[in-house]
Amino acid sequence: MIELAKYLLRRFFWMLLTVWIVYSVSFVLMRSVPGNPFSAERSVPPAIERQLRARYNLDAPILQQYTDYLKGIVTRFDLGWSIRLEDYSVNQVLAEGFPVSASLAIFALVFAIGLGVTAGVISAVYRGSTLDTSMMVTAVLGIAIPNFVLASLAILLFVFLIPVFPAAGWGTLRQVALPALCLGLPVAAYIARLTRAGMLEVLTRDHVRTAYAKGLPKRTVILKHVLPGALLPVVSYLGPATASVLTGSLVLEKIFALPGMGSHFIYAATQRDYTLAMGMVLTYTVLLFVMNTLVDIAYAVIDPRVKLQ
Amino acid sequence: MAVQTRRFLLMVAGVVAFAAIVWASRFDALPPAEMSFQNFSDPKTLDPHRATGEPESRLIFSLFSGLLEMLPEGAPDPDTGLQPMTPQPALASHFDVSDDRKRYVFHLRPGIQWSDGTPITSADFVWSWTRMLHPTTACEYNFQLFSVPFAEEYATGTVTEGDRVEVELWDRPGETEGNEPNPQAFPRGTILYGTLIKIRKPPPPELAEDASEGERADAEATWTEQWVYDIELARAAEDGSVNWNDVTETRSFVVDPSSPEADQSTTRVHGVLVAFDKLGGMEAPDPETFIVNLKNPLPYFPSLVAYYPLYPVPRHVVEEHGMPMWTKPENIVTSGAYQLDLRRLRDRVRLRKNPAWYNADEVKIELIDAMSMEGQNTALNMYETGQIDWVTDPPAALMDELRKRDDFVSAPQLTVYFYRLNTTRKPLDDRRVRRAIAMAINRKQIVEEVMKAGQTPALSLVPPGIAGYESPPGLVPDLDEARRLLEEAGYPGGRGIPKMTILYNTSEAHRAVAEVIQQQLQNNLNVKLELQNMEWGSFLDKVTQEDYDVARAGWVADYSDPNTFLDMWVTDGPQNNTGWSNKQFDGLIRDAASEADPVKRMALLSQAETIWIEDMPVIPIYFYVSLNIVSPRLEGFAPTPQDKHPIHLLRFREAGEARP
Repeated sequence: MIELAKYLLRRFFWMLLTVWIVYSVSFVLMRSVPGNPFSAERSVPPAIERQLRARYNLDAPILQQYTDYLKGIVTRFDLGWSIRLEDYSVNQVLAEGFPVSASLAIFALVFAIGLGVTAGVISAVYRGSTLDTSMMVTAVLGIAIPNFVLASLAILLFVFLIPVFPAAGWGTLRQVALPALCLGLPVAAYIARLTRAGMLEVLTRDHVRTAYAKGLPKRTVILKHVLPGALLPVVSYLGPATASVLTGSLVLEKIFALPGMGSHFIYAATQRDYTLAMGMVLTYTVLLFVMNTLVDIAYAVIDPRVKLQ
Repeated sequence: MAVQTRRFLLMVAGVVAFAAIVWASRFDALPPAEMSFQNFSDPKTLDPHRATGEPESRLIFSLFSGLLEMLPEGAPDPDTGLQPMTPQPALASHFDVSDDRKRYVFHLRPGIQWSDGTPITSADFVWSWTRMLHPTTACEYNFQLFSVPFAEEYATGTVTEGDRVEVELWDRPGETEGNEPNPQAFPRGTILYGTLIKIRKPPPPELAEDASEGERADAEATWTEQWVYDIELARAAEDGSVNWNDVTETRSFVVDPSSPEADQSTTRVHGVLVAFDKLGGMEAPDPETFIVNLKNPLPYFPSLVAYYPLYPVPRHVVEEHGMPMWTKPENIVTSGAYQLDLRRLRDRVRLRKNPAWYNADEVKIELIDAMSMEGQNTALNMYETGQIDWVTDPPAALMDELRKRDDFVSAPQLTVYFYRLNTTRKPLDDRRVRRAIAMAINRKQIVEEVMKAGQTPALSLVPPGIAGYESPPGLVPDLDEARRLLEEAGYPGGRGIPKMTILYNTSEAHRAVAEVIQQQLQNNLNVKLELQNMEWGSFLDKVTQEDYDVARAGWVADYSDPNTFLDMWVTDGPQNNTGWSNKQFDGLIRDAASEADPVKRMALLSQAETIWIEDMPVIPIYFYVSLNIVSPRLEGFAPTPQDKHPIHLLRFREAGEARP
């Protein structure tokens, strides 16, 4: 337990350091790209632009902007007012978008793990059969096809040909189904391949042969003696999988008109919404850091040989 | 790790995973709205003084009412199907115009109210227009009131000695001498009135030769804050009027108290501005009468009054909650057909009928969703499956198919697509080259093979469809003439012409147009152009810095008058960005602004357009058409010149027909 607490503390320190570096780099990058938050097709008169700069503290010396904004984040968790969505503070934007993205990511991951592991186990157990081949071909396709193509196909199939799901929008379980499916499928495909490989490796181990020799039923051997070991690569993949589910939702959010965080990420960058872009980058940094830490802990839980460092 | 710890963590993980799934499956489903439409992107703001784009305007026109409103009048044009729109009484029941067209008297409807029941009075208009112009509001449309005396000086913060001014003391809520300013400009601090007798300016800042424009502006602004104003204060009466000759005392004021000119007796203030609301531009003799006195007889002033920046905002709510919190659904109070029920980012803005609206009986749809949705295909999919009733941005790729449908509503629009030319660079500084290029473009091919939605080729600047205005005969595309002009300019057969680049912001449609033009000019004139696409922010930067050869652009009419297309090309105008300058053109635009006779005024504008066409600082390409797909179960939707569709006029064909 103490070992774990120490580990978490250390990770927390590293996270702060990472966030600070990410903050600094983003701050510099954001301000060195051409254009500014107030550029528009109808150019804003200089007097008005000056007023707007003052409102968002963009008229202060650059170093002071850097420290003022950082101070706000550290002391009050205040990411400032969004410049382009000016009725909202960045915190409000995050508070509205995060639950949607999180909910979508959870469904996609649950779906991906459920489908991927099942398919992987079946493939490995019936290795060489037609079932195995067809599932693995599907998995390769699933990895290769980008999720927006998948989304278009899914819409064609499940909205227009067999009308079971609504075309887009957010608010009901039926509306989540298609985007979660499209988001989770490539991850499921990858997990299926990882599970199959892991299973095949463990199936040849001595302890499995012993288990069979003891006369244990096949089902018990697979579930109790093979699967835990075979899942290790899957667990380590969950970190990157979360990342890909979170970032992959950018495209799907547009196709399915979902009010998640992903679309803000793109718009904040293209519209030079300095504060919102910073808020997004920092949120994703923290999120990925936390997910990776959890994966490391999970690794140690599953495999006793792994030490947390 | 100990076995117990492992077991414990495993359990925790299980519980967390289960909890996460339960949490994720909980949805508080909204009851469906009766009608919903694609409103493109999220509204930037719902504050009428801060908003600009289309999505914002659709919502603000539903939420707020003005003295006048643009409403359909008369029968649709038999050729184009366009429904004419005119400014018609809304919060004002009627208005009178003086013979010299400079004095407008608006009579408010009796008993009009904000959605919370507070009465709307003429004082709301005085306050709202003052707020709209106030420098800290930074309203991008403030120029629409510049025909009111002192409005421009007020908005730009210009004061000169001898002006009658207002002084805002440093006592906004929460402010004490020497602390940080309260960023909320409303409610304002104590206002004193007086006559500015002298401005004491410290020596101007010295800047390095190579200082950038931004640095200069900043230094200038800092310096201006150090000016000390000596003002003879006048007595203000109980009723708000100011007796300018009744001087009480003379005091000095400064924005930045560290100014070298300031002394012990100098008072720190937020600013010194002309006393716009006390100088006769606006009058509110009684709660139901609002009078505007203009500097120039602006024939399209009623159209401006019918545009949302001149709509009133609720003073009591703005002052209580501040900007931007007053626009939140729980705070906002509206004056229009609808009130704000719900606002969810990247999802929807829900409008609910406002029972306090003066014309509430005519509003037939109780609950409307404006969906924030940019995906063209997404919107069409939702329309096809009955989730929305009106698509405002149909997919360009399907135009051939969509145009044949009955629910496709399209008509010419007051919008032009054009290419700016950088007239300060070779070879485009030569008028002959500009005209040659303009003549060698086959616009028909562009509208028929690229755009495909019924756009019309543009050979002049002002789109057809503005009442009372006839554009001069446009450019005549003529390849032989184009080649001759090019030869005359010293580039026979296109030889020796410097390399040029067409700059456009990244978009499939812009690329397709640019490619066709590139090919046409190569084939027709042997002029080689390169294409360069840039992401929006960088693109705008290049254009405003005039660091381009040819750059694409589009312009939507702000109001239904040729001036909206013409006055942007005056010398050094903020939208000009071509380096083009023509004294005769500037003069005509200026004369037109002060011309009282509408016919003569249109003639002046037409002359100005003739000069523009002759000089061709910009190549017009095509005029837009509005594109909408509207469900047949809705009626009250007509194509209009500015693609504006008052939402409160929509109703279901069969009474009570709600979403199935």
